Amino acid sequence: MLILKVAALQPIHGYAIVQRLQQISKDALQIRQGSLYPALYRLENQGWLKSEWKTTEGGRDAKFYSLTKTGRRQLDAETAGWKRLCEAISLVLGTGERGTGQ
Amino acid sequence: MKWRSWLQRRRWERRMDAELQFHLDCQISDYVKQGLSQKDAELRASREFGPVDLAKDECRDQKPLEPLDQFQRDVRYASRSLRKSPGFATAVVLTLALGIGANTAIFSVLQGVALSPLPYHQPDRLVLVALYNRTLGYATNLSYPDFLDWQRNSHSFEQIAAFKGQGFDLSSPGAPEHIDGKEVSSNFFGTLGVKLGLGRDLTPEEDRTGGVPAVVISNRLWQDRFAGNPATLGKTITLDGVDYTIVGVLRPGFGFGNRQADVYTTLGRTDSLLRNDRTIHDIICVARLRRQVSVGQAQAEMNAVQDHIDELNPSTERGLGTYILPLKQFFIGDVEGTLVLLMGAVGFVLLIASANVANLLLARSTVRTREFAVRLALGASRLQIVRQLVTESLLLSIIGGVVGLGIAKWGIHSVLAASPGDVPRIDNISVNAPVLLFTFGISTIVGLVFGLFPALKSSKTDVQAGLKEGGRGSTGGHQRAQRVLVTVQIALALVLLTGGSLLFRTIHNLMAVNPGFETRQVISFQVGLSPSSVTTPSKVRIAYQQLIDRIRQIPGVTAADITALLPLSQQDNSGPFWVGSHQPASMAQIPRAIYYPIGPDYLNTMEIPLLRGRSLTRADNLDSERVVVIDSLLARAYFPDRDAVGQSLTIPHWGAALNVAARVVGVVGHVEHWGLDGSLGEKPQIYYSFYQLPDDILPVFRREVTFAVRTPLDAATVMPVIKNVVYEAGSDQPIYNIHTMQELVSSSMGRQRFPMLFLVAFAALGLLLAFLGTYGVISYSTTRRVHEIGIRTALGAAKSDVLQIVIGQGFRIAVIGVATGVVAALILTRVLSSFSRLLFGVRASDPLTFIAIPLLLISAALLACYIPARRAARLDPMIALRHE
Repeated sequence: MLILKVAALQPIHGYAIVQRLQQISKDALQIRQGSLYPALYRLENQGWLKSEWKTTEGGRDAKFYSLTKTGRRQLDAETAGWKRLCEAISLVLGTGERGTGQ
Repeated sequence: MKWRSWLQRRRWERRMDAELQFHLDCQISDYVKQGLSQKDAELRASREFGPVDLAKDECRDQKPLEPLDQFQRDVRYASRSLRKSPGFATAVVLTLALGIGANTAIFSVLQGVALSPLPYHQPDRLVLVALYNRTLGYATNLSYPDFLDWQRNSHSFEQIAAFKGQGFDLSSPGAPEHIDGKEVSSNFFGTLGVKLGLGRDLTPEEDRTGGVPAVVISNRLWQDRFAGNPATLGKTITLDGVDYTIVGVLRPGFGFGNRQADVYTTLGRTDSLLRNDRTIHDIICVARLRRQVSVGQAQAEMNAVQDHIDELNPSTERGLGTYILPLKQFFIGDVEGTLVLLMGAVGFVLLIASANVANLLLARSTVRTREFAVRLALGASRLQIVRQLVTESLLLSIIGGVVGLGIAKWGIHSVLAASPGDVPRIDNISVNAPVLLFTFGISTIVGLVFGLFPALKSSKTDVQAGLKEGGRGSTGGHQRAQRVLVTVQIALALVLLTGGSLLFRTIHNLMAVNPGFETRQVISFQVGLSPSSVTTPSKVRIAYQQLIDRIRQIPGVTAADITALLPLSQQDNSGPFWVGSHQPASMAQIPRAIYYPIGPDYLNTMEIPLLRGRSLTRADNLDSERVVVIDSLLARAYFPDRDAVGQSLTIPHWGAALNVAARVVGVVGHVEHWGLDGSLGEKPQIYYSFYQLPDDILPVFRREVTFAVRTPLDAATVMPVIKNVVYEAGSDQPIYNIHTMQELVSSSMGRQRFPMLFLVAFAALGLLLAFLGTYGVISYSTTRRVHEIGIRTALGAAKSDVLQIVIGQGFRIAVIGVATGVVAALILTRVLSSFSRLLFGVRASDPLTFIAIPLLLISAALLACYIPARRAARLDPMIALRHE
């Protein structure tokens, strides 16, 4: 879901996704970078991401991923589900904080 | 295909490498910017990334399988799982191979004979043209003057050519040999649109009275007698004592009709008597239709042409119509129908075999329920399991097809060996591309249909139940399906057996028919008299008399004489006659009889019973009164109220002599001339002495003369002696067409015997397969009920009760199957009787057959049940209860 969210903003390549994820989560999420790619391939096969080869500002060819329509729908659904879950947990814990669905 | 997929895979790999490398490079350059040394940056980047190969592997796992890869995987898996159960695989492959092999064999014959086009130029436009007897309803030959008129007056054809089968005695170069040939009009090859391999065609100049004797020879003769030497052109061969110049050689494989002619010579050059007489009907025409002209249009035009000929020649023409038939149909005749019938029968065998295979697959899938449940539980989709199972059955059916092809190659031999000996276009039969395609097609269809059905059933497995039952599986649905399959098998086998039985009874009835003469202990053969001894008609008469006298003296020969027409030889010599001297007003009303020019002792040799008067004698010759012996049919029909002996008949053409009166001196029994089933209609028969034939017509009949020898000795024993005697009289006299009368009798039943042999063989195969099917299903279901039977026995059920349960179950299946089969057979055997002349003395709904065959099948089914039933009844209840 996080990958989808990141890719939703603009076409983005694998390295940038890792950077963005670490940036957003303030380094709280430490993933093995190599495992990103199987995940990307899976999302692409499921039709949620599409990819194309483009040239970066640095002049190198890189594979840019972007969200498809079904990917967008999937993201919305998962986000909604996540929000509901978080709300439920918040209610149980009694904290009033809402919507940390990123 | 493979190459492309390999390229694609390479490209995919390269892109993945590039993507990962890009990631690492970015990371490294970022770290370098942050101030790390190149080396440290690389280390850190690769640590954070993790093992690259692992990432790659994981990426590859995500890649969707390409269809080809998937197929390969399925096939690998299928062959692995089949190797694990070799017994099952062998049983299935053999069953399918039998079914597919039999189908391929029959199909290759059907394809070669009936489906493939004739090897001529645009063969669809070639037709056979003959005369048609409107009153009696049969096609007949025409006279040479008729042909010339047709050629002049018809407009429907691009070309019209005439031909006539003609045997020749070849005496030089090489050993004397009797060969088949044809006399043809000079445009014969042109009409067919075939090119010669060597030399030139026959010319119109050679095709008229007084023309130079020229001949086109077959490739076979060219190879045999001239070693394929191109310098053969211009050489001569001696046929019936006449030297012919070889002008052309045919291409290998050229054939026209059944008997493969070795020499083709001109029709118009022969005897002017024959070529000018409108009453001698001895040729047939082959013609090429003009474009856009249909057979019907040509027929209408030709009828008008023939009517006009009749008007111009009132004394000889008999109100005959014309008969036009596509050439292929003429060659194939009703063999096509027989082959289609056999194709249907063999299709039934395949259905029965497939039902057996489906049953085996069902049983196997029941055992594999647990395997499927595990795979489903591990995330395999239903589609994957179905695909897997269908791949397995396809693999089996394709292997079955390959083995079947081997069986077919062997089977074609036996088809041809059992054929009546006159299967048309026999050289064209082989395992060729269309046949291979057919085999592959039916293998695939069989594999798909009979794999899909059990696959769909077993993929419905309920995971939980499947896992719990631990291999016993849910069996209710499967067993119902298996019983339906067995029922169908029994029904199909019944239909086959019924057809086989009807034909078997037909043959049995035919054998009981009295042919009108004693067929045992008679040998017939023909002799080509040496050309030097036949220069004049009187020399011919003497030569035959001397030869017969010598043969009679051979020890063991009880009687012998010649005839120019032998019954059951499929030859004809019919002509008109009338009673008394008064010619009927209308030529169309004149009765026709079969004429037998015979030696005086022929009737005695054949043991044709003399009913009244006397037989012919040597005293009946050219100097004495013309006399005839008639058969009982003629006597009854035309002399119903008086003694036929002493009455007179008029024979319109006795050679060139017109309206010759002949006195009836004797009446003999009727002979079945055409075949034992009498279906070609019965014509009256007239015998007269060969030695009373006038000089002008004798040379014509000389070619037909057949020797009939009665002897209790074996043909193999006596023929060498006879040959010696013939060679003593002239070393250049070939002996040919050697047959025992019994052989002619059985080949006259060929139409019925050929399909019968196959139907009986197919029916036996079907019965065996249905028996195995029933046995398999019953013993399988009994095994599954061992537990239940154990309980019953423990609770006091007697052995007979157990037998009853098991057999009762099979009996119900058998009765339903038989009932279905009887209904189907009643409908389908009508097909048999719709073939004219196929059934004889037995109706399609023959009660005996329809009682005996169902009983046979039910007993077979009961036997199939009895074996597992007895096993079940003998079970020790303790073992049975523990059985898991």
